[in-house]
Amino acid sequence: MPNSAAEKYDVLVLGAGPGGLAAAVSAHENGARVLLVERERKLGGILKQCVHDGFGLMRFKERLTGTEYAQREIDRFHALNIDVVTESFVVDIQPTDGTYLVTTQSAAGMCRYECKAIILACGCRERTSRQVFIHGDRPAGIFSAGTAQYFVNIQGKMPTKKCVILGSGDIGLIMARRLTLEGAEVVGVYEIKDAPAGLSRNISQCLNDFDIPLHLSTTVTEVFGQERVEAVAVEQVDKNFQPIPGTRQVIDCDALILSVGLLPEIELPNMLALPIDPATKGPVVDQTMMTKAAGVFACGNVLHVNDLADWVSVSGEAAGRSAAAYCTAPRTWNDNATALQYERGDFLYALPQYFDPTASEPLTLYFRSREDVAGKRVTLDLGGEKAAFSKKYRRLIPSEMEAVTVKEAASGTVYQLTMHN
Amino acid sequence: MQAKLEKKFPGVVCSAFGDSVRLEGELTDWDEIVRCGKRAAKAGFRAVINDITLKGFVPPPMRTPALQDNALAEQTPDVLIIGGGVIGCAIARELRRWALDVLLIDKEDDVAMHASSRNDGMIHPGIASHVGTLRGLYNVRGNAMYTQLCQELHVPFERWSNLILYSDPIFGVGARFYLGYRQKAFGIPGWHVSRRRLQELEPNIAQGIRGGFEYPTSGMLSPYKLTVALADCAVENGARVSLNTVVTAMDVKGTAITAVHTNRGTLRPRVVINAAGCFSDTVAGMAGDRFFSIHPRKGECCILDKEAGPLSQRSMGLVGLAAMSATSKGGGIMRTIDGNVLVGPDAYEQPLREDFSTHKEHIDAVLDKHLKLIRGFHRGQVITYFAGVRAATYEEEFIVEGSARVQNLVHAAGIQSPGLASAPAIAEEIAKITLGRLGGQILPNERFNPVRTAAPVLAKLSLEEKQKVIADNPEYGVVVCRCEGISRGEIRAAVQAPVPATSIDAVKRRVRPGMGRCQGGFCSPLVAEILAEEGVETITKKGAGSELFVGTDGKEGADHA
Repeated sequence: MPNSAAEKYDVLVLGAGPGGLAAAVSAHENGARVLLVERERKLGGILKQCVHDGFGLMRFKERLTGTEYAQREIDRFHALNIDVVTESFVVDIQPTDGTYLVTTQSAAGMCRYECKAIILACGCRERTSRQVFIHGDRPAGIFSAGTAQYFVNIQGKMPTKKCVILGSGDIGLIMARRLTLEGAEVVGVYEIKDAPAGLSRNISQCLNDFDIPLHLSTTVTEVFGQERVEAVAVEQVDKNFQPIPGTRQVIDCDALILSVGLLPEIELPNMLALPIDPATKGPVVDQTMMTKAAGVFACGNVLHVNDLADWVSVSGEAAGRSAAAYCTAPRTWNDNATALQYERGDFLYALPQYFDPTASEPLTLYFRSREDVAGKRVTLDLGGEKAAFSKKYRRLIPSEMEAVTVKEAASGTVYQLTMHN
Repeated sequence: MQAKLEKKFPGVVCSAFGDSVRLEGELTDWDEIVRCGKRAAKAGFRAVINDITLKGFVPPPMRTPALQDNALAEQTPDVLIIGGGVIGCAIARELRRWALDVLLIDKEDDVAMHASSRNDGMIHPGIASHVGTLRGLYNVRGNAMYTQLCQELHVPFERWSNLILYSDPIFGVGARFYLGYRQKAFGIPGWHVSRRRLQELEPNIAQGIRGGFEYPTSGMLSPYKLTVALADCAVENGARVSLNTVVTAMDVKGTAITAVHTNRGTLRPRVVINAAGCFSDTVAGMAGDRFFSIHPRKGECCILDKEAGPLSQRSMGLVGLAAMSATSKGGGIMRTIDGNVLVGPDAYEQPLREDFSTHKEHIDAVLDKHLKLIRGFHRGQVITYFAGVRAATYEEEFIVEGSARVQNLVHAAGIQSPGLASAPAIAEEIAKITLGRLGGQILPNERFNPVRTAAPVLAKLSLEEKQKVIADNPEYGVVVCRCEGISRGEIRAAVQAPVPATSIDAVKRRVRPGMGRCQGGFCSPLVAEILAEEGVETITKKGAGSELFVGTDGKEGADHA
């Protein structure tokens, strides 16, 4: 068998972005022997390419760039002398009698690790041009915003001189500014929905400050160009996202940059056959961040796509704490855990999907409203005499996630989130 | 015939052109032009040359490489193969069984750039072809050659059976006789399967399907991997491949081609093989042997995520009576050799020979038509889609023959579906014809090795085998493509192969980074890095003009280096 016997750890953290780093530190601080496994060369995850600021306002009470935020987390991690392997790719996870056997592939060969708990911190991935059914020619010059960001910020290569950005997700907005600063012309940002998908502060700082127009209810319907993008067609759409005849406009450009959404990267959850929540598109967890596989925890963007790295760190800490606790007192998934109830018409999603009254971890609930609403009250009923949480929000918008931490213990026989006037 | 055609297609004039018939005139609808050609094809001439123009449409010129040099000037290969598709590459390998100087040229930046990488990868059993046609003959013969060929080339190949499904029991009764006749005539094993049996074979099959016919000799492979492997093997055996090379003209004296002019110099081959796909009529014309026309028949396909793969095990399509006599089966769904699902293709006539754009109407129609065959398939599983163009003649028949007019010209033309399945048999036949045309005594190539040297494919290896490969070369341990689990070593091997991958797409065709669900988002910058390390100066998606990066002075990334 490769590399002799499996090395033993309490907790294996898979992924070294902000979630994984926080999880590894927190599991370590709670007494677990931890190994952090990263598939890329360097730690930090996607933050490595985020040279813009706006990170850390919650966690560090400071305005940091993504790289600074990552470096703080990395420094803290290294200071604790936690084991780490990089350029190591998980190819197999086998449950074996209360433990997990994880196999990785790296330049060192095929390595095996035995652990009591696993924390999935594998982040998210971008939706592609194909997933939003862009048609026409297939030239070079169609990039997702994250790929364009990698080219510019990591490789120092310019992927465009004049581009159209489809989708108003945060990375798209950030890249509109970044490419403009690097001397490219950003003709406009086009969003199929009637509201921007990214944070308001990004609309203001990345588009408005640079006079980059945002066109709502407008989408790219065709790409032209044999070798390299030469132009794209944009059309306004109706409420059902169908193009409105007569609104077609052809825009000359050499690239189409897409920021059309992020999806949890669920290769590893799938490997473990974990149930996936169709709303979050990530694995189902209870308030300890444990998935339905006992000892497998998840945090950060693999659970649901967060809009702030700070929240990813928070969930990483929770997962680390829970995983360490699990190592000393293993438990199984509680089949009597209460499933979260909410109206899909009111909320885009909410999680954790289950509340286990027998678990000691306090509940942090994350949700997004489905619509842009004002003056609505959101109430969480956990079976106590009074609501576990109730707050009237001046405004709730789908692009901005809300988080609620419930400290008081409750029976948890009910677990219901409601939106009302 | 003139009268008949003119009645239906006013203004069309036909004339004899050698033993072919030539159509001229102008029509306002491309479908009419194709229908007119098809009608003329039934008149008993050798072939139809359709020169009817479409009103208001100027056909775009063949796209040609910008490169100009003299790299091939005054070369005198024994055989010049024009076209680096699966046919041309199979012929190149076949001809190297003999002591011949073989040069293959293609105008694109890589082999397999047109139909050979734009099809469903199915090795048809042969049941879709009419009895008595070359398409049927070469299909059945080629199909039988695939097991050994793929072993030699180290190309993954599986004989996953093909199901022809029906929902109308009356059709089922009729098809039993019709397909039975073809099975017997071609010698294709196959049988009827009841609804119950179907349910066992394909547990997720839709309710409305009443039965079908199963053909166990059907197979699946990656058509571009096969084409690249054929080219690699040919080169390993001494053939030469010159890419970005386009034929611009030929000199013909009497009944022989004396010179072939290209953008890379003038060659003087002894024999020329026309394997130019959608441009095979253009090439024939350059040699003064224009006797047929290609009408480009386009098709669009979708690829579903691997998550959909396990839901069906076979290739299958629902057919009705109309489809049985049509020129194309109308596509279906098939599990690809890499574990995805391919949906489509459709088939429609249009005048452009190298337009690979996709269209919402076609992709939607393909999905609407076929996704419902298997419960669990849905649009959300689509990870990509693409288009290809079939090189169809009006006779809807392959042209596999030595030229009647030009002594040193051999045609492998009009190769459309089932061209992939037929390729090995066509190559064998073309090699025979070529030897005849070369004349004299030709010695066998004693050193010919049919086995291609293949780089390891990590994902297919056991843990122990992986360990060994990585111990030998640690680069095989470093995963670059997270969706498909492809290592840096595998990518580097593709860049160093006999026909080297020099673009992002060329790497993708050989070892798949970018074929997974991220569609290259994560891995394309890393693949670009490896290409640069290997000395590729300008990183392109698919050759000159498709540069990934831009710079103000025209040099990629120059102002950001």
